[in-house]
Order: sequence, then structure tokens, then C-alpha cells
Amino acid sequence: MIRFENVGMRYGPGPEVLRDVTFQLEPGTFTFLTGPSGAGKSTLLKLMFLAEPPSRGLITLFGTDLATARRSAFPALRRRIGVVFQDFRLLAHLSAFDNVALPLRLAGRKPDDYTHDVEELLNWVGLGDRMNARPPTLSGGEQQRVAIARAVVGQPDLLLADEPTGNVDPEIAQRLIRLFGELNRLGTTVLIATHDRGLIERARSREMRLVDGRLVELRRG
Amino acid sequence: MNEKQRVRGRILPREKGAAPLDVVIGVMAFLAALALGASMLADRQAESWREGLAGRLTVQILMPDHPTAVRNMDSETQAALEILRGTPGILTITPMSDADASKLVEPWLGADAMVKDLPLPRLIDATIEPGAHVDFAELEARLKTVAPDSNVDDHTRWISRLQTLADTIIYAAYAILALIAVATAAAVSFATRAGLEAHHDIVALLHQMGAHSGFIARAFEWHYLISTLAASAVGAGLAGVTFLLAGGLEFAGVEAVPFLPPLGLNPRELIWLLAVPVVSGLIAWATARLSVLAALREIY
Repeated sequence: MIRFENVGMRYGPGPEVLRDVTFQLEPGTFTFLTGPSGAGKSTLLKLMFLAEPPSRGLITLFGTDLATARRSAFPALRRRIGVVFQDFRLLAHLSAFDNVALPLRLAGRKPDDYTHDVEELLNWVGLGDRMNARPPTLSGGEQQRVAIARAVVGQPDLLLADEPTGNVDPEIAQRLIRLFGELNRLGTTVLIATHDRGLIERARSREMRLVDGRLVELRRG
Repeated sequence: MNEKQRVRGRILPREKGAAPLDVVIGVMAFLAALALGASMLADRQAESWREGLAGRLTVQILMPDHPTAVRNMDSETQAALEILRGTPGILTITPMSDADASKLVEPWLGADAMVKDLPLPRLIDATIEPGAHVDFAELEARLKTVAPDSNVDDHTRWISRLQTLADTIIYAAYAILALIAVATAAAVSFATRAGLEAHHDIVALLHQMGAHSGFIARAFEWHYLISTLAASAVGAGLAGVTFLLAGGLEFAGVEAVPFLPPLGLNPRELIWLLAVPVVSGLIAWATARLSVLAALREIY
């Protein structure tokens, strides 16, 4: 599914944010990525969802070596990944419905075809009555749920989430984790970066920890 | 819940503060349409000059330098008329009387008795049958045998000068059109870059979500195509109204600028002004597309 070999990352002439990161995510697995703030969790996620090229090392995604792949192959790879950004990155001028439908639109699906799926998902995350609301009028927790719905609506092969339960109350957090688990059971490989120890303990999945840019395997799932 | 409204959210929000660009493009289109109209007027005018003077020739019999020959002018003119009558291809022959010749110089010299003493040339105006070929050099040589100081003017020099004038206006108009096209492209390119900058978050997110460059470019190119079409249609429309007003003034007998040919465009020429918004729109479309694709290539 995804494979990092001796990957290093530095921004410009700065120090290395990630050092000799080597790991592999098998298809259909559920993994937590933990570590203190500034340890490089977000940078590692950025490398995984093709937002930045690594400074060194080898990344293989869905069997494609990113160093040798043609740039034109990237959009298709990116569409197989669902991402929950820490800052949500919702489009402020679009309704919650349209934000969630965006990946399906990009995949070329027609409104008649996806309207039901999107509405069902928004109901599931508890936003059935907020479909027409624009993100600026939603609370932080509501925005986060829209972002999560957008990431999972296309049933991606890989789901990457950066602190997906940071802004919601524990009850909603449990509901969202169940959603991730459901997706995982349907075959999606899931990686969640989080500080939430309770979440990790309850899920008893594999945990990888980043410390000073180095990856430590804490627990095998 | 309004379903249609919900599922048709535009990928790009409506542009705020784009009015200055619309004004620039509208003014550009106005100037472009004026230049295009001027080129058509110049072309039409050159054509009418050609039509007016082609197919005519003027024989001039000059007063000889030696004074003893004065009394021969009449007989020389008669002999020249005979030669013209015997030349195939000549349709009409109109000798100009002394009174007519005096009238021609009157605006410059006045009608004094003194003018009557001037050695005015005898002029014979002739028209040529349409399609007939007359060898002017041969005709002139034959005329010289009876009137040594005669010459034949087929107006080619005058026509070619007018043609040069018209060509200069037409090419100047084309150069202006080219400059306006470049300026429009630059303005749209600048605006697209600014738009990309303003919508950087959206572009980056779409790119991150696996949108093809073409998909993102399409959102921008449609935006600029539509707004440029609208702005330049207004500009070209105003230019069309200007030409119509100029034509109306002429019709009403008001001479806007003395000596200039008519400034009104006919309906067929006015339709050509539509080319201005069409071409502007295409330029905007292509510029927006290329700018967005270039900007996206810079993102990983």
C-alpha cells in the first residue's frame, strides 16, 4: 500500500524534520501516528498525500515509485487518498453538501448519482440539518465532521487524518472513530495522527510514534 | 431544501474587485473596434477612389514654349480628338472648353481678366470601355506626332498615392489591433495570476484532491472568457454606436471633419465589429488557461 525507505525531509536549508523514516502500511490496516507537537507528524502526512516531495529516500505508493513516476500520474494517485486536514481546508463559498461532494465531482460523478450518498453520510456524521450551511457559519466541530465526510465519501484506498477528533466532544469522537473503523472494514487503509491517548487505548491498533523526526514502532496492531 | 442550488456550487467563488479589469478590457475593445472600423473605412475609400478614377484618361495639350506656335493650339486639339476617336476602346471623349479650364483654376487664382492671358493647357477628358485595354504609351506617342507638347495622364500615379495613403491607414489600424491584443492578453494574464493568488487555497486543495490541471484551468478560463466577452461586447458596442452616430451626422448634413471621407459604417461592416469581443474572448480564454497551467506546474 505505502512504503517509506530511509526518507528524509528538510524545508529549504533548515534542519531535517524527518530522518531515515522507514515503515510500511499493509492494505486494510489501521494505524495511529503519535508524537509530541513538532515531531514531524504533519510533515510525514504531507509526504504521504503527495503535498511535498521528500528531500531524500524512497516512497512507494500503491506500487508506484514516486521518484520515477510521471507527474501526470499523480492526480490519479491523489484521488485514491482521502485526507482530513488539521485545519479542515473547506471551501468557504460552498455549502457543506458541496464540500462533501467535491471528491465525487472531481471523479467525474454526476449529482443525480451521488446526492443520496452525500446526504446519507452527512446524516451519519450528525449534519443532516446543516447541509446547506457554509463552513464559516459552522462550529469547529461541525466543520471537522464536514472535512471527515469529504475525506471518506469516495471510499478511498487510503485515509489519512490529522487530529480528526481534536474539536469534537468525546461522544462524537467515538462516532467518528466508528466511521473510520467501518471504512477500514470495507478495505480502506487508515492512518490517524492524534494526541488522544484514550482513543488509541480503546482502539488497540498499531501505533507508530515520531520523536525528533525519527519513527519508533510502539505497538503492532 | 433546494436541491438544484445545493449541487451546483461553483468551484470558484465570484470574483470580487474585478471591475477595473472589465473596464480595461471594455476600453481596449472600444479602441480595437475603432481601429477595425477605421481600417474598413480606409479600404472602402480606396476602393471608391480606384473606381472613380480607373477607366479614365486625360489628354493635356500644353502651350508650347515658342510664341509663334500659339495659334496652332486649336488645330492640335482637333487633331488629337481625331486620333482619340480613331482609337479602339475609347468610349467617350469630352474636350474641356476654355471656360471650364478657367473654372478649374479659379479657386486658386481668381477670375480676373489676367487669368485669361495665362497659358492654360487644353484638356480632353476620355473614358475607356470597361474591360478594354488601351496602350497609353503608344497613344501618347501618336498624339505627340500632331501635338508635340501633349501628354496622357491615366491617373495611376494619383491612384497609387491614394492607395498608399489608404494602405498606411489600414496597416496602422492592424498594428493598433495587434498592440491591443497584446495588451489584453497581458491584462488578462495579470488578472489570472492575481486570481490564482487570491484563490490559492482553493487551487491547492483541488490539486491536492487529485483534480487534473485541466479541471482547475477550466474553472478559470470560463470565468475570464465570460467576463471578457461581456466587457468587450460593451466596448465594441459603444464603438458601433459611435460609427452609427457619425453616419447619422453625415446623413443629417453635418460634416464632422472637413476633407475626411464618410465615417459611417454600413450594416455589413458593423457586423465585423463583433469580431472584437469574439477575438478578445478567445485571447482571454487562452491566456487564462496557459497562466493556470503554468502556475500549476510549479506545484508538486
